[in-house]
Amino acid sequence: MSATPRPAAPRAIASATAPNLARDRALFKNFVRRELFARYLGSITGLAWAFVHPLALLAVYHFVFTTVFRAGAMNGKSFLAFVAVALWPWLAAQEALQRGTVSIAGYAGLIRKVAFPHELIVYASVTATFVLQLVGYLVVLAVLALFGEPVHFEGLLLALPLWLLLAVAITGLALGLAALQVFIKDIEHILLPVLMILMYLTPILYPLSLVPESVRPWVAANPFGYLVDRLRDALLDGRLALRWSDGIAIVVAVILFAGGRWIFLRLSPHFEDFV
Amino acid sequence: MSGPLLHLSGVGKDYAKLDTDAARAKLVFDLLRGRGVARAFCALDDVSFDLAAGESLGIIGENGAGKSTLLKIIAGVITPTRGRVDLRGRVGALLELGSGFHPEYSGLANIDLAAALLGLAPDEIDAKRDEIVAFADIGDHIRDPIKHYSSGMVVRLGFAVATALRPDLLITDEVLAVGDESFQKKCIAWMENYLTGGGTLLLCSHSMYHVQKLCRAALWLKDGRTARYGPAAEVAQAYLAYHEEKSAGAKRPIAAPKAKAEGFYAIRSIALDPPGRIAAGGSLAVTGEIYSPDDRTPVVLIGLVRADGTPIYGVASDMDGVTPVRVAAQRFTFSLSFPQLPLLPGKYVVRAHALDPEGVRLFDNVEQAFIVEGATRELGLVRIGHGWNGAVPH
Repeated sequence: MSATPRPAAPRAIASATAPNLARDRALFKNFVRRELFARYLGSITGLAWAFVHPLALLAVYHFVFTTVFRAGAMNGKSFLAFVAVALWPWLAAQEALQRGTVSIAGYAGLIRKVAFPHELIVYASVTATFVLQLVGYLVVLAVLALFGEPVHFEGLLLALPLWLLLAVAITGLALGLAALQVFIKDIEHILLPVLMILMYLTPILYPLSLVPESVRPWVAANPFGYLVDRLRDALLDGRLALRWSDGIAIVVAVILFAGGRWIFLRLSPHFEDFV
Repeated sequence: MSGPLLHLSGVGKDYAKLDTDAARAKLVFDLLRGRGVARAFCALDDVSFDLAAGESLGIIGENGAGKSTLLKIIAGVITPTRGRVDLRGRVGALLELGSGFHPEYSGLANIDLAAALLGLAPDEIDAKRDEIVAFADIGDHIRDPIKHYSSGMVVRLGFAVATALRPDLLITDEVLAVGDESFQKKCIAWMENYLTGGGTLLLCSHSMYHVQKLCRAALWLKDGRTARYGPAAEVAQAYLAYHEEKSAGAKRPIAAPKAKAEGFYAIRSIALDPPGRIAAGGSLAVTGEIYSPDDRTPVVLIGLVRADGTPIYGVASDMDGVTPVRVAAQRFTFSLSFPQLPLLPGKYVVRAHALDPEGVRLFDNVEQAFIVEGATRELGLVRIGHGWNGAVPH
């Protein structure tokens, strides 16, 4: 321990976020385990649900879009594959944001009594969601391939880094929203309709080419639209070449993360009074 | 390592006063801009002390005096608004009930969580788990969710976890109040052992017995400020005296009519020597002057009472067959001394009453407070001479 005295505020922040990496890693693992356990891995059929749930969802989409709406081929791919490739990252982002935003309240007992870096809570919440959704995604891709859809598995070389990028950006947003939620309880209620609207404004259930020319630039400017586009390129067409926009996406993700974390670290020393 | 294990200087904490959503939104905005809290309630102000390794400090005070806030600041759970906290070493904190347990999880799962929070590596946790379970001694309940525990069981587990780490500084907040008799004894034995082994303790308790037994020094917090800081026995006695005064304040009877007017016998002045403070077993002299309207020699009655008004001893001049000395027309003086006053440390009051020459009617009541200082753990008001027969010194 350093012998130089430090002013109070930095000390408290230091004690909560000092690079005690071994401790923080153990704590993070414990939190992630706790998050996974709290969802459904604790039940008897536990892990099976992680597979059954996405498959059930896929079957429902198949029924709705292919059987009921009789949606035809989309840019030469089956509609189901076209939607599935884009929908799971969206579900991951949506669930991670919603759970991440309210994650702090679940740890109120700890926050009031123990000093630890509060950001670990949000990291654990987002990580648990992404791990489960990514597992579901891989299962869905495997099942699609099994039913003869042309899935390019080499596209995962690009798709997995894209997921990582998404996770980084969503973590940043979740950090900011989680910190605000502690003080302003309306955040979680505003979030649901906003996410709903965003989903329909993103070319997930439809291709960008169907959007009228006049509004297309607006829809195309949606950062999530970029991600969807790139995932379809990689997994359905096997196109892996990097683009300039990938660099921009990295910058955006890093800025979102840094901004969200800045808000979180500004507000987290005061959580104890409000959780 | 040099210097104290824990050093606090000018520590204060303000809480925001928030009654509307708009105020909350404004607070968030202020915090993001790096500003302080606008409308604040000061829970703690200007607290300073040092705690060297191997020492023990008791924190005492009424409810709402800021004790828990202070402990939380030291534990790093909350950020002080002002001042500075320097802490070197590993802290184990037992704040209120259960040191951060999750109600849905079993005792065992919570041991893992608590150990991770305290910074134990997984293999260390494995080594400590049995020890913790044994100390908590709550049987098969260790596998049940914490929410089904009684408060005593939660404290047992919390204490077991906090102690298993052997922290450099152990912070405990009222934990002893909850456990049953045998667990309390176990905790006190553990703490004494821990202190003997060089551990440092911060104990927050309403039990002056525990504070005096376990702590060398004590800090009395009153309305968020340091009311007194010094040797545990002295501070504890001052605190108890304060409470005695407080409870007596409401119901103190008027012992005598306030007869200051001319025409009545009255105490004009009294003085104590030494004034204000005496050492336990030291001597005390009471001197004063009485006014006698008809120039007849009055009787003076001197009483010693505890700060809450409990009488201890009283003696009048006519009982001992003496009279005050006439120094001038209508003015008489008296002087009474108590060699080797056997009062135990605490706060006391000398009462002087003027009586008519017949010693029948009591006219006046003048009080002067004083403090008996000393470090003893004897109980009660006065020291009574005693001897143990057949006992062996240790």
